[in-house]
Amino acid sequence: MSDRMKSIVFALMLCLVCSSLLTAASTRLQPMQEKNFQIDRKKNILRSVSLIEPGRKYSNDEIEKLYKDNIFQYYVDGKGTIVSPETVENPELSGLLPLYLAMDANNRIRSYIIPVESNGLWGKIHGYMALKDDGATIEGFTVYKHSETPGLGGEIENQWFQENFVGKKIVNPENQFVAVSIAKGSAADKVTKEKLPNYVDGISGATLTGQYLTQGLHRILKKYEPVSLNFRQNALQCRMQTHEPWCEENAHE
Amino acid sequence: MNKTLSIFWRPIWKDNPINIQMLGICSALAVTVQLKTAFVMALSMTFVLSCSSFMVSVLRKQIPRNIRIIVELSIISTFVILTDEFLRAYMYDISKQLSVFVGLIITNCIVLGRSEAFALSNPPHLAFIDGVGNGFGYGSVLLIVAFFRELFGSGSLFGIQIIPDFIYDAGYVDAGFMLLAPAAFIIIGLLVWLQKAVSGNKEMDQ
Repeated sequence: MSDRMKSIVFALMLCLVCSSLLTAASTRLQPMQEKNFQIDRKKNILRSVSLIEPGRKYSNDEIEKLYKDNIFQYYVDGKGTIVSPETVENPELSGLLPLYLAMDANNRIRSYIIPVESNGLWGKIHGYMALKDDGATIEGFTVYKHSETPGLGGEIENQWFQENFVGKKIVNPENQFVAVSIAKGSAADKVTKEKLPNYVDGISGATLTGQYLTQGLHRILKKYEPVSLNFRQNALQCRMQTHEPWCEENAHE
Repeated sequence: MNKTLSIFWRPIWKDNPINIQMLGICSALAVTVQLKTAFVMALSMTFVLSCSSFMVSVLRKQIPRNIRIIVELSIISTFVILTDEFLRAYMYDISKQLSVFVGLIITNCIVLGRSEAFALSNPPHLAFIDGVGNGFGYGSVLLIVAFFRELFGSGSLFGIQIIPDFIYDAGYVDAGFMLLAPAAFIIIGLLVWLQKAVSGNKEMDQ
């Protein structure tokens, strides 16, 4: 056998062995990885509504239980009406958007959670944004999957960045929808005081990640604006017409 | 037996891949913020190094010379991807923290360097021991750096708080600088200095 032939045969053999090894490992471990991924996703949903304390360790069962007790998956249609999953046969085809609701002990909606899927610099950014039942205030923002540069754009998965969003508004003082944006650098230096509730601090060295994520958040919040609007109107009505204690609480917040 | 021992010890002290050969610094900066990630990284690296050196050595008489680098890289990357898949299945949180750095073991010069310089010309059992030794040499530096960075940067070791609350109450603040990459540079620099001082800077004598 000539040398060249020998090289080719050897390379082919090597490819065959390596790829079958990798395929075997990947198929074997897939279910475990998928389970970890789902737990992590649920953990992020819980974290967006502060049902998980940062820094504490939770077992998989604890996560499952917390999730089962507090979070309920629904859908919303184009008018912002919340639809129960039982009535929907094929959510992808019917154009409904998934929405997670966090309920309190009295079965009242505490907050609603929007799945975020945005472009990033290198790939998709996946996360969740939780909004309070006033339809205007952000309760939390988390990222569970992204491919941004570690240390730069990758900071979006860190607590300090995500905490920036807490308490920010998706409406301006006139109650008009404006979504939330990421400033280039410190928000307080870049925007006027009136706009500050709609801006969060950016990450230095990750301007593009910030821009893409801003675009993504605008697009997604706009898609969910009908349901946010319903929540805002409900909150307003509630404050004006009824004097239920929890309405008053909201009013004072 | 003596030869085997010296093959094992050499990369840990005299020929340490990080302190002496200055290889693999990039990952040493990135994964040493916490002891836990440094530990897992050290284990992954040792696994990849020893297994790939072993395989290269087993095949050393068959590997065609003209494609040997590609062959070595294929073997290394297979082990790296296996490690990555395994971590994602069994240690999801840690694998998230290590992010790209497990995958980047493929490009770590230590691994290819050992395959080229040692495994291609030595029998499998010695190549395996050389791999383990280099993995430990790399890992020990990682652990030392991570020890100082986690202790002074977060006041904990392996995630357990070490610096008691009353010291914080007295006004002590964690050194945020330790969490940044330059801190790792400085610690590695001090380690190199220490090692050269202890071993009498043989490089100069040669």
